[in-house]
Amino acid sequence: MSEDAVRLIPADEGSWRLEAYLRRGGYEAARKAVMSMAPADVITEVRKAGLRGRGGAGFPAGLKWSFVPQGGAGPKYLCVNADEGEPGTFKDRAILVRNPHQLIEGMTIAAFGVGIRKAFIYVRGEYGRIAGRLREAIAEAEDEGFLGGGIFGSGFDLEVIVHLGAGAYICGEETALLESIEGRRGQPRLKPPFPAVVGLFRAPTAINNVETLANVPLIIGRGADWFLGRGLPKDGGTRLFGVSGAVRRPGLYELPMGTQLRTIIEIHAGGPPEGVAIKAVIPGGLSAPALRPDELDVTMDFDALARAGSMLGSAGIIVIGDKIPILDVLKVMARFYAHESCGQCTPCRIGTSWIHKTVMRIGEGQGRASDLDHILRLADGMKGRTLCPMGDAAALPVQALVTKFRDELEKAVAR
Amino acid sequence: MSEVKMVGLTIDGRTVRAAEGTNVLQAAEQAGISIPHFCYHPAFEAEGNCRLCLVEIEGLPKLDSACSTVVREGMIVRTSTAPVLEARKDVLEFLLAEHPLDCPICDKAGECKLQDYYDRHGLFPGWFLEAKEKRQKKISIGKGLLLDRERCILCTRCVRYLRKVTGTGELGVFERGVRAEVGTYDDAPIDNNYSGNLVDICPVGAITDTDFRFKTRAWFLEKRPTVCPRCSRGCAVIVESVSGYPLEEGERRVFRIRAGENPAVNGYWICDFGRAGRRDIDEGRQERVIKSASPESELSWQKALADVMARIRSVPGPERAAKVAVILNSRMTREELTLAKRLFAEGLSLDKIFFADPKPGAADGFLLTEERVPNARGVLQAGFSPRLPDLDALAASVEVLLVFGSHLLDHFSEEAVSRALAKIPSKFLFSAHTGPLDRLAEIVFPLAVSAEKSGTYINIDGLRQSFGRAAEPAPGVVSEHEILGCLAAGLGLNVGEHDVR
Repeated sequence: MSEDAVRLIPADEGSWRLEAYLRRGGYEAARKAVMSMAPADVITEVRKAGLRGRGGAGFPAGLKWSFVPQGGAGPKYLCVNADEGEPGTFKDRAILVRNPHQLIEGMTIAAFGVGIRKAFIYVRGEYGRIAGRLREAIAEAEDEGFLGGGIFGSGFDLEVIVHLGAGAYICGEETALLESIEGRRGQPRLKPPFPAVVGLFRAPTAINNVETLANVPLIIGRGADWFLGRGLPKDGGTRLFGVSGAVRRPGLYELPMGTQLRTIIEIHAGGPPEGVAIKAVIPGGLSAPALRPDELDVTMDFDALARAGSMLGSAGIIVIGDKIPILDVLKVMARFYAHESCGQCTPCRIGTSWIHKTVMRIGEGQGRASDLDHILRLADGMKGRTLCPMGDAAALPVQALVTKFRDELEKAVAR
Repeated sequence: MSEVKMVGLTIDGRTVRAAEGTNVLQAAEQAGISIPHFCYHPAFEAEGNCRLCLVEIEGLPKLDSACSTVVREGMIVRTSTAPVLEARKDVLEFLLAEHPLDCPICDKAGECKLQDYYDRHGLFPGWFLEAKEKRQKKISIGKGLLLDRERCILCTRCVRYLRKVTGTGELGVFERGVRAEVGTYDDAPIDNNYSGNLVDICPVGAITDTDFRFKTRAWFLEKRPTVCPRCSRGCAVIVESVSGYPLEEGERRVFRIRAGENPAVNGYWICDFGRAGRRDIDEGRQERVIKSASPESELSWQKALADVMARIRSVPGPERAAKVAVILNSRMTREELTLAKRLFAEGLSLDKIFFADPKPGAADGFLLTEERVPNARGVLQAGFSPRLPDLDALAASVEVLLVFGSHLLDHFSEEAVSRALAKIPSKFLFSAHTGPLDRLAEIVFPLAVSAEKSGTYINIDGLRQSFGRAAEPAPGVVSEHEILGCLAAGLGLNVGEHDVR
């Protein structure tokens, strides 16, 4: 069997087509689950595989499914989070473009395991053209009886609807995503209740990231042990690392969970170009606190990065070279969060805007000595106090930049 | 009824028992511990957007919003630890960063929650050095309602009120981040009979009422509860008036009527029709006794009433049933109606006791009823069978007529009424407001309106509600209760003053 069979981003010709996917052994795992497994065993297998959510939070996927009440006559939904909005992240796009059937197969297995008959794929508005390929794949799968009514001739049905977002970062937050699908303003809900209990249209709902679900056929097809063997104990499988910025070969690298950050940057992505040194690395999408060059000997997995004071997040690695002023990074960061805050809760709405205004003022040469301390204080005012995780997502990376690159920023303030 | 399960928890070291399903904010309030909040309102599901009610809950890694946390057995809550106070201060600092400091010209000053909380929990030096967002400050969003977007703190109480209470949903939040703002859809105005409540629930001065705007300051107002007299629902209202404030001629006494709270009747809301009752108290009032024979002379109501008694006495006892008539109304209190029953029906044995009330209007399906009087049930309970008079029959036989209220004109033309009254030798009008009947009466007595009286109304559901005086009447204005009591005393009738119920 070719290497492509176990890759999330296969390289074979026309890899997104059903025939190519079938050549790679596609839909065998779904067939196995639907025809020969008990739903509860599907969940157990995924739990055993240590599959942690690839969207950013790293919550164990099987555990998440197990929170959805079993049985019951009412509707339950599966929502696929394809609102890949985290700056520096482009892994789900690659799956949607090169391997949409593996996502669909993963959805079928998940829906079968949790007892769901209707699923939504929430695709960010900016991926509108990709959604066409996704819809084609859904049609192909339906034609072959892999999706729709009576899958594989069994009594199991699954309807899949592609829903296009309108370009809001916050709709990647799972409850804001639900609001958006329901046709309302995309802003987060209070938790609890969690979506597993009260989710889409107030029904129990499983929500998973694209990459998370694309791993599911591998787990069911080859077993939890095989999957664990490709990653770390309790943190199984590979990860799609997107590397951008000051490297020779920016791109997407599928590597085992727990690969060294320095290895990914220096070996796989070719290190920084001639004459450039690394100044900082953001390891998991813009919201992950930046690391200094002396902090790169860290393994890329959820726990190791948390210990290093950052997070694996979406595994989008942004390498910042020494020619880039940290103030410029801070400006881009502050503008992004101020632009994307939904405005619902006070600390995020005002905090992101206040930080942005202050950073821009520093950029205009109007900085004051107290500004950096004040930015840290504003970030403290947001951290852990907002309605959804976006407060932390906006506060922590700002705090990291100001703390770790204080000397350089102080020169910018004093300019 | 199933018994409500109680949950025991500890708030700030105090043992508190609260009904299952109560949130921490309510449970604390019941125990006398107030947790500051903007967005939470007991009528809606918690939204948790203002983040001011953050408290410490033992076992949780972060502060959590008290409004959205349901009480659990054994829960330990702390509402005034250093991290809680710090979080409160920070939220206030965030809100005030973008909030205009126009308190000196803001209607809400003195009753603004942002102002109050800053005074109690804030008091920090201002650190905001950046330019504040410029927004529209005077947007007409519907009947007499103005929106100031700079003052708005986006608590969304108004948006949720229109979605969940009136179901009309005229307001929404547009844009996002610091640019987020409340507005109407395509400029379609707020158009429902409950829009005045938006001003009551706005915690800051973002939504103001043109009827109140720039007219006075909140701290001058005396706030007293009463029952709304404008329909038979009997909603709790608060009358806000000034007394002992130097009044110019024609200046307001009552500045506004707001919703009072009564879970059994109106919850937290009143209709705009009831709210507009402010004008009934202040405008078009009959201010003194006017005798048509000498309109300029100053005359006390007690002296004028002697004329009424003399006319009644001049009709021999046995003929009074036919020759003396009264027209009452269903705005009179239960106490006044009892007195009227004893005086006119039992004491004077009158046959001709009629009622003239405002014509019914359309009910709106929520609070406003068809009956535009507060005490139709009180009339029945007092033993009256209310009916309109026949004007021709009145004109043909009656010699003395006492008219309470001016609602004959709701049923008969002014011409028909004046034709009939012209044939009646003595007619007296007791009315709170000036009107076309005034010139037809021999003497006009200035009556108190219900906000100026104490008494009892019985509402559409049979609920008996007693109320006290909510606004001071002008000197010389008199209630029906006093008039009837004096008439009874003057005519030597025992009406059991101490047993008017």
